[in-house]
Formats: sequence, structure tokens, C-alpha cells
Amino acid sequence: MSQVRIPNIKIAVIDDDLLVRDFMVTVLMYCVNRDVLSFDNGLAAWKYIKGHESPDIIISEIDVSGLNGFELMAKFKEKSPDKKCLLMSANPSNEQPARNSGADAFLAKPVTVNDLFIVVETFVVKG
Amino acid sequence: MIKLGADSVEMREMSNDDIFSSRLKLLIIMIKAYLKDCPLGNYRKQAIIENANQVFCHSLQLVSESSSLKDHGIDVQTDIVSRETISAEHMFHQRVQLLSVMAKAIAENRSMSSFRKKSITDNLNKICETLIFNFQVRDVDFLKVA
Repeated sequence: MSQVRIPNIKIAVIDDDLLVRDFMVTVLMYCVNRDVLSFDNGLAAWKYIKGHESPDIIISEIDVSGLNGFELMAKFKEKSPDKKCLLMSANPSNEQPARNSGADAFLAKPVTVNDLFIVVETFVVKG
Repeated sequence: MIKLGADSVEMREMSNDDIFSSRLKLLIIMIKAYLKDCPLGNYRKQAIIENANQVFCHSLQLVSESSSLKDHGIDVQTDIVSRETISAEHMFHQRVQLLSVMAKAIAENRSMSSFRKKSITDNLNKICETLIFNFQVRDVDFLKVA
């Protein structure tokens, strides 16, 4: 019998590319068997986060409108310092700034199903 | 900070083909997990249906784009090798569309006899051979719980 346990977790995905966003939501929803929030811009995500209990994990594209990934992460970490923020980008020059600004992970596009499985293993199952 | 995804030199925006390929691999994983008796909660079922619909539509679109090119006389190669390639591609997409229907049937709790499970396994294996994709459910512990 497996000793693995999936906690009751809330994840939010922020990306203005509908195909990418929906793909990530499908993978994550399948993995954790929970609903997954999704937003097409940083401001909409922040409005939700401000008015509700923070998601346990946010996964945000850096180059989104409203608030970009760095700005969203700064506000999110200020409100919920113990929660996880993963930034993603297709631009390699964003990696070092993501590291410097305290992101918990950097997802370099294109991401695969296996990358998202590792996200779940690392940040959901192992907590 | 951990880094996941592409190597820096290979980073780029995700194309429609990236999404199709990733969704198809996810569909294979979903069905393999079902065949290994991994539990299906309501959200997992919802994710399977959504993924199956997306894969089915994308596959149809690719087939229709391919025949549209032929209709317009583009890339019409009539030698035997080309015709075999076109036929193999056509069959691959028929198998992918069938897999999508099978996945939806699983998520919708349609009855699954041993013969149906065998035909799902056969179809899955043929697609995996073409993709050279060898995923093992035993490697991903969290799929065994919901």
C-alpha cells in the first residue's frame, strides 16, 4: 500500500496563453484530484488572492499583463510568506531575476507533463 | 530555487504541436494509470474528459489540415513510400481519436469488460510504439492515491 498522501491543496495557474494555461490546469487537476484556479493576468489573480484564502501554490508566467509574475510574487509572498510561488517563462534571461527575487522554482518553457509531475512531487506530495 | 523544463538554449514559447504532444502523452498516462487500478476521483475524471476532448479535436484538425493541403495540390507525392507515410499518419490519428473516445468512456464509468480493456491496451501500445513513449505508472506514486 502506498504511503503517499495528497493534501487538500489549492493551486492557481496564471498565464495569458489559453492553450498553455488549460494544459497546465488539466495536468495539475488530474495529479492532485482537486479543482485548480486559473487566471489570464496577474491583476485578476491578485484580486482573487487578496479577497480569499491564499492558494498554497501559484504558478505564474512572468510576462503577463496587469501585474507581471515578479510583481504578483512580491505581493503574494508578502501576504503569505510560507506559500510557494513558481515562475515560468520562455525567456532565459528571466531565470536569474527569478532566482534573485525568491521564486521557489523556475519553469523554463516549453514545459512537459513530467516537469509538472515533478512540481506535484516536490511541492504537493513532499510539501 | 529549482529549475525545471527546457535547457536555457532550448527555451521558447509553447507551440500547438507542443501542447498536442504533451496532451497525448498525458492521455496515455491517464489510461495506463486506470489500467493499473489507480483511483479516479471526480476531478480526475473531469481532467480526463477535458484532455480527451482536446486531443480528439486537435487530432481532427491536424488530419483536416493535411487533407486540405492535398486538395490544394500542395505536397502531393504519389510514390509508394509517400503514400505509405500518409497512410501511417492517418492510421496513427485514427488510433489517437479512438484512444480519446476510450478515455472518455473510462471517465464516464461505461462498462469495461476484459475485451474492452484488452483493446484499450492494444491501441495504447500501438500509439506508444509510434511515439517511442515508455511511461511506467509505478514510477509516480501520487497517481496511486486520490
